[in-house]
Amino acid sequence: MPAVKVENLEKDYGKVKALRGISFEIKEGEIFGLIGPNGAGKSTTLKILATLLTPTGGKAEIFGHDVVKEAPRIRELISYLPEEAGAYKNLTGREYLEFMARLYAKNERDSAKMMELGIKLSGLGGRLDDKVSTYSKGMTRKLLLARALMVRPKLAILDEPASGLDIINAYTIRKTIREFARSEGVTFLLSSHNMLEVEFLCHRVALIDEGRIIDLGTPGELKERYDAENLEEVFMRAIGEGGVHYE
Amino acid sequence: MSDFWIMAKKEMKNLIRDKKLLFGLIIVPLVLYPAMGKLMHVGLEKAQGETHVAIANFDDGQYGMVLVKTLQNAPNVTVTLINASSVERALEFAAKRDQNVLVVIPHNFSESIINDKPATVKLYGIFRSVSTGMKESVSEGRINAVISVLSEQIARIKIQKLGAGSPDAVLHPVRAESMSYLKNRIVPVSPSIVSGVLASQSITLPIIIFLMVTITAQMAAGAVAAEKENKTLETLLTLPVKRTTIVASKITGTALMGLIAALAYMVGMRSYMESLGVQSGISLSELGLQIAPGGMVLFALIIFLTIIFSLSLAMILAIFAQDVQSANTVVSSVILPLAFPAFILMYTGIGELPAAARYALLADPFTHPIVAYQYMLSGNYTGMLTSIAYLAVLAALTLYTTARIFSTEKVLTAKIGRGRKS
Ligand SMILES: Nc1ncnc2c1ncn2[C@@H]1O[C@H](COP(=O)(O)OP(=O)(O)OP(=O)(O)O)[C@@H](O)[C@H]1O
Ligand SMILES: [Mg+2]
Repeated sequence: MPAVKVENLEKDYGKVKALRGISFEIKEGEIFGLIGPNGAGKSTTLKILATLLTPTGGKAEIFGHDVVKEAPRIRELISYLPEEAGAYKNLTGREYLEFMARLYAKNERDSAKMMELGIKLSGLGGRLDDKVSTYSKGMTRKLLLARALMVRPKLAILDEPASGLDIINAYTIRKTIREFARSEGVTFLLSSHNMLEVEFLCHRVALIDEGRIIDLGTPGELKERYDAENLEEVFMRAIGEGGVHYE
Repeated sequence: MSDFWIMAKKEMKNLIRDKKLLFGLIIVPLVLYPAMGKLMHVGLEKAQGETHVAIANFDDGQYGMVLVKTLQNAPNVTVTLINASSVERALEFAAKRDQNVLVVIPHNFSESIINDKPATVKLYGIFRSVSTGMKESVSEGRINAVISVLSEQIARIKIQKLGAGSPDAVLHPVRAESMSYLKNRIVPVSPSIVSGVLASQSITLPIIIFLMVTITAQMAAGAVAAEKENKTLETLLTLPVKRTTIVASKITGTALMGLIAALAYMVGMRSYMESLGVQSGISLSELGLQIAPGGMVLFALIIFLTIIFSLSLAMILAIFAQDVQSANTVVSSVILPLAFPAFILMYTGIGELPAAARYALLADPFTHPIVAYQYMLSGNYTGMLTSIAYLAVLAALTLYTTARIFSTEKVLTAKIGRGRKS
């Protein structure tokens, strides 16, 4: 059984067609990336899988459960990091993690274990006891990533996990994700416009543009298929604008 | 701990740590109100202290001196006799000597009394600054009282001279003994006191309910809108927690805070009123208006349902706002007009209104706590049960709508006006 199975997914926001029928599958333990320009439909896809939006057409399953009909069950399997997200300002970082751990854990022992992992993943050290309102963007993002991963979900859905961060923070976040994926065997679905990030992290990627998947494969396969040196070139050629070479 | 309590606790923690809310809910009622009352109290106390009265006696006869003696014997009055050539000089002198009042007895005072003409005494309140007026007015009242005792005394002497057997019967030929008839019972309390007690009840209650409804509605709206503003809503909605639990925990969290706020306001109000001396010393039960425990339970239920209604309505409204400020605006513009008609009932009983107006008012859920209070005092349990049925239906409907909206994507995508998403 695949971890994620998406078939002909469509989503309209009023007149705007955000998704025009996309299909892909993610194997268990895989890190899968969606890449594409602004407005391509990445966030929309992830929100449907995270049970936030209902698709207009097609269907999506996570570990065999339908995202619409079995939304409550799905929420127990996944954890979702939104593209733009914050934490409760009046809580400290530690209280925020504790709040989340209590909701996911079955008992005190589980929750203590989650806390331990969360504290480690966040890398915030002593600052965890400060109010979230005093955190920088990078610190908040690390806290949110830590909370998404510490519950050891079956599937982690991360929408541009390192967007808007400086090189150092982005690097730490990517490293955290990669190490966590290796050690825990969690399945990842993430979106990005950063091709470097995707090459660094993903086993397979889907190129998405204007609500359609235009190609799909491992970074290596894609580079070979388009005779490109990196995924950026792959992408430009795939959408048919890579004709000009500067060499 | 269940998910519900974990979430409700988080809501409350978030609210309690909100400095603005804490100020409005706890500091204002518990510190500012009593402090205001205390200040007023200090003013009143000062006014009740010694009154320094200067007297310029220009009277040629004996009665002027009688008045001076009476004033000298009056409690809390210090009398200073002034020998001045004119009223102006007397005033200057009195002001210099920190006197509160100057009493001028004219030269024909005794003559008027002897000739059966009304005699005049002139009182001058002396203001040394523009800021305090209370002391002067109270002293004037005290002197007026002394003068009325004096004039009664003189009248009595005159009547006796005329040969009447009982001067008191001439002075007060008719005496009114006022009592009140209330709920088929004679209460030995004057109607003005009874209506004072009832009025103070019927004014404070609507104000407290009004404050509580608007404050909790704002809190509930804020609790939803803050999730949008701080971008925590999407994460919240993907947590393994039932959407109904999310709604219920938000409502419970704010309702509990609302309860704390209501208690704070009640305590604050009471101490404010007490320091103003508004207490008539007469309780409702002395008027024969005991409230049976059954009535109290029904009344509490009505308040509870009203608050549930207003909280869930506020949450629905807040879903359409993108930030706390616009949520507050939207909620104010809907809840305030709805809560306002309740004040009409401060002046009239619901039963005294024409049928059309009565039903129009009763359609508004926020009038029910006030009406229920009147019903509770008069023991009209049928009326209260009808209110409960109506409010329960309304609360259930809005609550259901809130839960429905929260379980669809509308909670994320609904907005008023044009969206602005990249
Ligand atoms: N709430 C909404 N209402 C209306 N249209 C929307 C809404 N959200 C997204 N869209 C539209 O749907 C399309 C896809 O948006 P989506 O956010 O999925 O793109 P994306 O690939 O995540 O882009 P980005 O890289 O900028 O995050 C865009 O055209 C966008 O304008
Ligand atoms: Mg996006």
